[in-house]
Amino acid sequence: MTALVRAEWTKLFTTRVWIGLLLGSCALAGGFAALFTGLAGQDGEDGPGIPALDDPEYAEVVFSVAANASVFLLILGIIGMTQEYRHRTATPTFLTTPRRGRVVAAKLLAYGAVAVPMALVVLAVTVAVVLVYAGARGNAPSLDADNLQTLAASGLVLVVFTVIGVGVGALVRNQVGAIVGALVYLNVIEPIVSSIGAISGAYKWLPGGAVQAVTSDFEAPDLLEPWQGALLLLAYGLVAAVVGTLLASRRDVV
Amino acid sequence: MRLDGPDSDPDPPGGVISTPSTAGRDPVRVEVTGLTKTFGRVRAVDDLSFTVEPGSVTGFLGPNGAGKTTTLRMALGLLLADSGTATFNGRPYRDLPEPTRLVGAVLETAFHPARSGRNHLRVYCRAAGLPITRADEVLHQVGLADAGNRRAGGYSLGMRQRLALATALLGDPSVLVLDEPANGLDPEGIQWLRGFLRHLAHVEGRTVLVSSHLLAEVEQTVDRVVIVGAGRLVREGSIAELRAGSEGAGSVVVRSPEAARLAALLAAPGRSVDLEEPTRLTVTGTSTDQVGAAAFAAGIELHELAARSSGLEQIYFQLTSGTEQYAAAPAGSAR
Repeated sequence: MTALVRAEWTKLFTTRVWIGLLLGSCALAGGFAALFTGLAGQDGEDGPGIPALDDPEYAEVVFSVAANASVFLLILGIIGMTQEYRHRTATPTFLTTPRRGRVVAAKLLAYGAVAVPMALVVLAVTVAVVLVYAGARGNAPSLDADNLQTLAASGLVLVVFTVIGVGVGALVRNQVGAIVGALVYLNVIEPIVSSIGAISGAYKWLPGGAVQAVTSDFEAPDLLEPWQGALLLLAYGLVAAVVGTLLASRRDVV
Repeated sequence: MRLDGPDSDPDPPGGVISTPSTAGRDPVRVEVTGLTKTFGRVRAVDDLSFTVEPGSVTGFLGPNGAGKTTTLRMALGLLLADSGTATFNGRPYRDLPEPTRLVGAVLETAFHPARSGRNHLRVYCRAAGLPITRADEVLHQVGLADAGNRRAGGYSLGMRQRLALATALLGDPSVLVLDEPANGLDPEGIQWLRGFLRHLAHVEGRTVLVSSHLLAEVEQTVDRVVIVGAGRLVREGSIAELRAGSEGAGSVVVRSPEAARLAALLAAPGRSVDLEEPTRLTVTGTSTDQVGAAAFAAGIELHELAARSSGLEQIYFQLTSGTEQYAAAPAGSAR
């Protein structure tokens, strides 16, 4: 299995996809951290905006924004799996390792492991932007236990979404279909579910609801506890992986 | 880049390979038994059985759409057979402990376009637990050493075939399975491939199963043929057996100022003599030797004496005609 995981790393680092997605993640997390810091304490015409810099809620909002970069890591996982089909390297891959479940398992491990340093970079960029910018505005939040916990939760979301991406890729082998489907699900379907009163109770059990539960415990109208959210998120990653593995083993590689 | 044949290779591949199987390759018998596969309503492969003997070069022949690729992909565990089995020394491909050391396959000439040829090979070295240096060794073996650092997306079709071949050779396998390896190669590339396959089989002692839709492409290389049409076995045997069955199937073209006299001389049961022009005739059911001897004995002057088609090609065509899925109308036949 070690050999297969190393093979996956070789695949990943001999193309440049990961660089683009890491830069995108950093830009998204850093950009929103800067935006939130700049707007902190300014109420809009329609109501209160971002909490003020000295409000603990500001720190929580600004440090959990890194979790939004999960969309890039989800795509990293999807590409990691679907590129085998897109570029038809699935043939040599499965010829080398005919027990295909091992290939999917190796990808899950390899991408889960790679997501850790990538998540740390995203978090570091977020923290740096916040400390420098908020510091310049006169009140940088301290990295106390609460804030570190928020950062860790964001990091966990990033890593689990990478693993979910690999599972999604194994389910939907068409790369464009998998990415578009995942984006539509996260940005259209989940928001609609959460906005319809009759079924919004289901939202907390969906991946998006789990992410909210993990990263924010201040405005939780109907969400799970953070640790429950974390477990649920891990369960989603696992289910995607297991179903993806089963399907990959049974489907024809034409 | 000058592409030398393997015979000019200063390091015989057997000498530089660090895998344990170098000492002597295990003879591997490939047995296909009752393979069947249906796609929707099309039965692509229908109860197909054949054997590839250890140490032989077997041509797997049939027109396009005969089910060759489907059969090979089933044998290698990429497609799930509806029924039937394919085994390598008695074990299905999926159950081989180290498949790349026993079987190497060239089925696909597609690669990640952004990855270099060398890195592509390194990926599979790692996955198969082979020393990473094998990547450079096989690049050298197929004549791609100078192109190893270039992105595979920029490779020509011929270079892709070579890279696919290099991938198959990574594990120094006893058996090589090649699906239409000559597709897209220029004449020089085809000549190189023939020499390379002969070298792999006859010098290095590997078992080779090579598919093609053209008999002429592999005729000089293979010992045995398995001919399929419409997913079924049409003929299995050695080239010699096939040739024996094709005796007299070819035709002979003769030009002579006394063509009519020669035509009368050649008329015999089992032959057909066709005087196409006053100075030109075509004879089937005979050989150039017999026609030449007859003409010489009668003192007839000849301006041309030629075999029009290989008897083997003729019989291959007869065996497989009517089995093509998208056969052209007879009158418009492109052959």
